[in-house]
Amino acid sequence: MNLPKFGNNRPVSASGVSWVWVLVAGVIIVVGGYLISTVTPYLFPPQGSAQAVLIDDLFRFMLFVGGAIFILVEGLLLISVIRYRARKGERADGPPIQGNTTLEFVWTLIPAIIVAILSLYAFVVWQQIETPAANAQQVGAVGQRFAWTFTYSFDNNMLPPETDTTRVDAGVLTRLSEGSSISFSSPQLHTWVNQPVTVSMETDDVNHAFWIPGMRLKQDLLAGRVTTVSFTPIEAGVYRIVCAELCGSGHGQMAGVVTESGDLSGAWLIVHPDEATYLDQFYYPEVEKILYPPTDPVALGRQVIQNYACAGCHRLDDLGWAGVTGPNLNGVASRTARLQATGIATMDEYLHHSIRHPADYLVPGYGNLMPQFNPEPDQPNYMPDSDLDAIVAYLLTQTGS
Amino acid sequence: MATITAPALPGVPVDERTRLRVSDYLKWSVDHKIIGVQYSVTALIFFIIGGALAMLVRWELLTPALDLAASGTSYNQLFTMHGTIMIFLWIIPMMAGFGNYLIPLMLGAKDMAFPWLNAFAFWLIPPAGILMILGWFAGQAEAGWTSYPTLSTLFSPGDGQTMWAIAIHLLGISSILGALNFIVTIRNMRPEGMGYFQMPLFVWAMLATSIIIVMATPFLAAGLTLLILDRVAGTAFFDPTRGGDVLLWQNVFWFYSHPAVYIMVLPGFGILSEVLSVHSRKPIFGYRAVALSSMAIALVGFTVWAHHMFTSLMPSLRIPFMLTSMIIAVPTGIKIFSWIGTMWGGKIRFTSAMLFAVGFLSMFVIGGISGVMLAAVPFDLHVHDTYFVVSHFHFVLYGGSVLAIYAGIYHWFPKVTGFMLDERLGKAHFWVTYVSFFFTFFPMHLLGMLGMPRRVAVYAPEFQTLNAIVSFSSFVLGISTFILLFNLVYAFYQKKVAGPNPWRALTMEWATDSPPPAHNFHGDPIPFRNPYGYGTESAFRYLEAQERELGPSYPVNQLPPGKSVTPAASGAPAGD
Repeated sequence: MNLPKFGNNRPVSASGVSWVWVLVAGVIIVVGGYLISTVTPYLFPPQGSAQAVLIDDLFRFMLFVGGAIFILVEGLLLISVIRYRARKGERADGPPIQGNTTLEFVWTLIPAIIVAILSLYAFVVWQQIETPAANAQQVGAVGQRFAWTFTYSFDNNMLPPETDTTRVDAGVLTRLSEGSSISFSSPQLHTWVNQPVTVSMETDDVNHAFWIPGMRLKQDLLAGRVTTVSFTPIEAGVYRIVCAELCGSGHGQMAGVVTESGDLSGAWLIVHPDEATYLDQFYYPEVEKILYPPTDPVALGRQVIQNYACAGCHRLDDLGWAGVTGPNLNGVASRTARLQATGIATMDEYLHHSIRHPADYLVPGYGNLMPQFNPEPDQPNYMPDSDLDAIVAYLLTQTGS
Repeated sequence: MATITAPALPGVPVDERTRLRVSDYLKWSVDHKIIGVQYSVTALIFFIIGGALAMLVRWELLTPALDLAASGTSYNQLFTMHGTIMIFLWIIPMMAGFGNYLIPLMLGAKDMAFPWLNAFAFWLIPPAGILMILGWFAGQAEAGWTSYPTLSTLFSPGDGQTMWAIAIHLLGISSILGALNFIVTIRNMRPEGMGYFQMPLFVWAMLATSIIIVMATPFLAAGLTLLILDRVAGTAFFDPTRGGDVLLWQNVFWFYSHPAVYIMVLPGFGILSEVLSVHSRKPIFGYRAVALSSMAIALVGFTVWAHHMFTSLMPSLRIPFMLTSMIIAVPTGIKIFSWIGTMWGGKIRFTSAMLFAVGFLSMFVIGGISGVMLAAVPFDLHVHDTYFVVSHFHFVLYGGSVLAIYAGIYHWFPKVTGFMLDERLGKAHFWVTYVSFFFTFFPMHLLGMLGMPRRVAVYAPEFQTLNAIVSFSSFVLGISTFILLFNLVYAFYQKKVAGPNPWRALTMEWATDSPPPAHNFHGDPIPFRNPYGYGTESAFRYLEAQERELGPSYPVNQLPPGKSVTPAASGAPAGD
């Protein structure tokens, strides 16, 4: 075989390239890959969980390897197009080289070793993130079109200190003394630093996916199943929750937003710096809302409405809601045109009807997307009549234009 | 001694020079060459439609709020149809078009094994495409091209989703029939002297692709049938409230749709082997490895499907699919290194075809790297269903398949039409496409990792700058397509006659007129013993003999008689 060789007595490999150049290329590739991998922190949101640290490190290694391969391949291409371009007027063919078994073996073996190493490293990380902690805080989650609702519970052992049992609502007191637990909902997921969380998730309609970019974990919600995801936050702060499975027209809105006034609306993970702050800022106030419900129906309604996922679709400035999929609720009580359009006598009746049977009277320009809130506990989207009455009482105060 | 064709029989008239008429291509024809062009032009029309939908998607994404699209639903319809049209009406039929036109010619045959079936398979496509587009008048499909239940069954009230499923059924049948034809043709109609390991690599690629199509597409048909039944017949295959399972669809769908991505890319790999070898004037490096790696990819490709389901699949099953997905990187890597080995040491002519081939190599490797990253389950949990995935598959489908298709168009247009495409327009097309492609899709890796999910019209405001860069680049990319379309028409005005073999290539499609006569060859062609035998004395003599028998090709045929581009003692290649 006629193969070009360089110089005299300089060591050459079978393809006619000096080993010196191979070594230099190797150094450039490895150092270049390393340098590329250093941009990793800028590619991710801040690390919020223990799992994020592991995953980011795995990615950094993959970027190092990928960067090295990138430099190798693009470098060889660049060299080829410059060095081996046909000169002007050149009509000859290249040398009739059919292959080189050794080289082909090497470039089969080395990638195989690389993917084996990547698989092993990824497997180790997987083992570490997949095992949920034993002492995890259990939170329930419901995904629906187009909002998230997180459910917490308390029982007799988890009451706030200095609970005044004489002031506690009678029905609640009875259930607590029987040993039952009482649950409450929030559109936000609350926990505290270093507390593992396991979220058990169900969907009311189509498949959704629960994703917290700051935690780096994602898990689909599958119709007909309960799926779980576990993580351990390591940094206090707020982290956006995003739906990551196409679920319909409001898919993009099924994520936490920041309102014009800078408030958080919709699905956010709130990591408190410690358990005391969590209890003080979130858990105990929520429990107390149930233990001592306001007697004023409007105040009760304003409290109770926040247990439901309305913020996902509706705008309501009084509560900082920024949804756009459904009608704007600012001033809803003043929309007497709706009474004329639907033939319903009073706004009270209309609001009751719109929540119990939203499909009956669609506001022009909006689709039939609102879930139906049902009066019985075994039905989906259960809303007892007492809650409904209070909610309507509250909404009736939302007047104006 | 090189013979181009067996001697003509005495008394048999030589075929007249072929005249192409537009009307021939609008009618039913069993000639594979006409069918190949019909596939290609139809596919290009759908490329434009799918591209226009992409432009609307990118226009919407210039701002974080919902503005252009009337509602989230209409936005969802845009990308659903963009994806569906690009996959089932552009890439898969375009690759079938290349296969149809080239395989009989590369095998020295007069036509495919089943010419009538060939025509039938093509004619399923226009009605299927029209049915799918008519969906817009009936409530268009909006559940993504992946069409997951229960969104696509219980929560898509329009008829468009059903029409979508029926249209894909038709396209699947077309695909299967075409693949059967390819397999039988390749198996039975190779000429004397062409064993499997003397076939051009494009034929190997189409063989592997056809095997995948025949084995995988029936699963898609099964899933679509269950979907249609759930939508129209009240069955509950995917309805968990009545005993069904949403994961059933995901598994069945992806069991086809993962091999489908190899259906979309393997023919591109085949095109690349042809173009790189011819325009580098050098044999394919490691022919056997490249041929067998296509088969390896086809085989292993059936074992990876659930890597599309890492966030929905039972956790204990995720690691095996990670392993198979990592493994499939190895045969792909073999190809990339073999192609670089082909270029290395060659005499590269930077024709438009070669530019796109090199463009493919440089962009596909990025898609391959991001693919290996996606195979790692822990990282995929973060980027699944985000713009990182959108970036990955556009790098391999656009930076890969589409650039390969472009390379193939520049390479074989002279053969199909008899005219050369304009090289300056080709170079302009390449550079505008290459740069705008990169800035359209590379930033999407960042968007996905930073937290932007896919399939949204509304996104967090901090992503606007990157989205604007992507959108503006995409508009330039969209415009670049028109440079090619103009060139395709302009070539018929410039009339630079190509002649039989403007690239001086050794595969058999070049051993006949451009365009080929009705029965492809004058007499019975004899293949040159090595389809990639560049640089050998015998190849040189074969090409000289071919030129004497069939006449000169571009650019020599443009010179006045007596002048020659070739210097008298042209670089005598190395020994046999």
